[in-house]
Amino acid sequence: MTDQQPPDRDLDAASDGDGRTLEPWEVFRREKDGDPMRHGGSVMAPDALLAVHYARELYGRRQESAALWIVRRADIHDLADPDLLQPPLDRSFKKPGGYVMRDKLAAARQQSGQAKPKARSSRPAGPAGTADR
Amino acid sequence: MTDPLALDPVLAPQDRARLPFNEADLTHDERFGHFEEHVLAGGKVESTDWMPDEYRQGVLRFVEMHANSELMGVLPEREWIMRAPTLRRKLALTAKVQDEVGHAQLLYRVAEDLGKPREAMFEDLLAGKTKFHNVFHYPTFSWADIGIIAWLVDAAAIVAQQALRDSSYAPYARTMKKICWEESVHIMHGRDVVVTMVTGSAGQRAAIQEALDRWWGPLMQMHGPRSERAKDRDIHWRIKAKTSEELRQEFLTIYVPRIRELGLTIPDADLVLDDATGIWAYGEPDWNELRTVVTNHGPKSEERLAFRRDNREATQWVRDAILRPMASGAPPRSSEGDGRFGAEVAGSQAATS
Amino acid sequence: MTTTRSALAASIDPATEAALDELMLSMADDEFVIGFSDSEWTGIAPILEEDIAMSSLAQDELGHARALYELLADLRGDGQTADAIAYDREPGDYRHARLLDHGRGDWAMTIARRYFYDTADGTRLEGLATSSFAPLRELVDKIRREERYHVMHATTWLERLARHPGEPRERLVAALEELAPDAATVFTPLDGEAQLVETGLIAEPMTALEARWRATITPLFVGLDLPMPPSGDLDRGRTTHGEPFRWLWGEFTSVRRSDPGAIW
Repeated sequence: MTDQQPPDRDLDAASDGDGRTLEPWEVFRREKDGDPMRHGGSVMAPDALLAVHYARELYGRRQESAALWIVRRADIHDLADPDLLQPPLDRSFKKPGGYVMRDKLAAARQQSGQAKPKARSSRPAGPAGTADR
Repeated sequence: MTDPLALDPVLAPQDRARLPFNEADLTHDERFGHFEEHVLAGGKVESTDWMPDEYRQGVLRFVEMHANSELMGVLPEREWIMRAPTLRRKLALTAKVQDEVGHAQLLYRVAEDLGKPREAMFEDLLAGKTKFHNVFHYPTFSWADIGIIAWLVDAAAIVAQQALRDSSYAPYARTMKKICWEESVHIMHGRDVVVTMVTGSAGQRAAIQEALDRWWGPLMQMHGPRSERAKDRDIHWRIKAKTSEELRQEFLTIYVPRIRELGLTIPDADLVLDDATGIWAYGEPDWNELRTVVTNHGPKSEERLAFRRDNREATQWVRDAILRPMASGAPPRSSEGDGRFGAEVAGSQAATS
Repeated sequence: MTTTRSALAASIDPATEAALDELMLSMADDEFVIGFSDSEWTGIAPILEEDIAMSSLAQDELGHARALYELLADLRGDGQTADAIAYDREPGDYRHARLLDHGRGDWAMTIARRYFYDTADGTRLEGLATSSFAPLRELVDKIRREERYHVMHATTWLERLARHPGEPRERLVAALEELAPDAATVFTPLDGEAQLVETGLIAEPMTALEARWRATITPLFVGLDLPMPPSGDLDRGRTTHGEPFRWLWGEFTSVRRSDPGAIW
């Protein structure tokens, strides 16, 4: 349908699906340029060609989408296993919240006799030693 | 670059994965208890979650009737596409009716993902086992009907649909948001037709009043008889949030002034607003009529069901050859397989692995 | 003089202008009338997704009709609106191709008719892509962009039906045979078309466009072993419409005639 298809995605052939049995195809849409793809819903179709056609109808006939991705639901792998996604042992070292330095900084400033630097807007080529929090 | 949170917008990933009712090693009663607690606290349910039978069946019944209504709702209007009196009206009506078919598609998809195949839903509809809303059992006599339906029937529907945007069943809630957005255009089209005719010729004005006289009764019946909030299971499970009466009052509050400002008379002498309470009193709707109609004894019920049956038969060869329905329902994706999904629903045509 | 009229070369004589009017009316009527049959699938197409797709095709055609009637109204400049041109004529004064008088029929008939019409229309639009009449040329460019989608849909369905042995293919072949005598009526020669060609309003006469159309669809028909419609009698291909259209006319004008002059 478009000129930008990579050469291995030949939509003129019924590449996915057996061409005769309806299956669900998930449709993702980009609202406008620069937006991420978001799940829109699904259509029933016997193969990729009609799935793309129907996706345009259900999620693009009002000119409401800049782009669509259409993928056979059976081809989606999903992961929801909490042992993999929310493993129980501490991983705070991977997040900003795992680095609380307030007390240590207070101690260092007291030791050096310096106050906490004021926040400045960034400017090019400032004098050395400034803006170090 | 995809936004990973976009695929699961309803709860943060951490919370969803830890939902206790999804723990397979709890007893049924324990899971039921957790599920109920979750829903009553405003929690949402996705198609891949564990659900008690009562909830699953309740949502399915609700969504299925909604889907049926969108599909049958096409029939009163479709013959007027051919008779639309201007090119613009013809385009608008074609688009409106297309949207209704689109809504049917969205809703049947939600229902399919709960385990009932689309073909089974069509069979039940055409055999009279499942229902569709009363308003779609009545005839249309003139272009004025088209204006009144697109404006007021859609308005009554949107009042209900807006309240469903926060349904506990998240796929349905998301679909409602899309549907409400699309319906708002229909109401504008309907109101435009009505206002144009009301300010047109004497014949056009009379036709609108006559259509309103016929449609008012079914409109008042549309949201259903009054029910007790405490006894309503659909409200208990947060599938819906408002009672029939709340929806009817909302409809009257918004639309009675808009009808009257056009110089139209509402055919109910007892319709009056209590300014102090903001509540409308009205002549009691004919609940017998409602019961008769939704059990497929309305003026057009059998004709329209027969029309769908005949046309379904006439296109069966296409489905048999080229657009074959899946053998079982269309299960949602789940990395744990279909067993958990299918096991809870006794007697339904849920997918089996 | 409207902007539209001024885009016509001063050298166009009344006879040529009449031929242009006839051409545009025939195109607009084609797009208007095909929409009726397609819209009949509303609510009853083979699957819901196809219902929605067919409705979009019908709306596109109607949108093209509207744009063409509006351009024609502009060109005529006599105060008649696009709606008046579309609705307020006697049945005998409509100029759509006889191909489009065939009823909706079954799904195979609809696909066959759409395939014949969309490919023929595509060839006709190509013949207008370099028209010396700028407003028409610009409109044709927009219409062609939308028509790509139509040809895609019609072609994929023609292939699906043709390749499926048994009932689907049999129904398709029966539909193609029934439509065959009227398949090429989109290319019914117009009065004064020699002048249209001479003034660059259209690139080639209808007979040449018909030949192009046949060349376009032959490879697919041969590949699918489908019967090509025969060349032949396009006589009065746009002026004999018969009883079914008369009935349709009665329906689509019924609301307007119920209150003539009313605003809807």
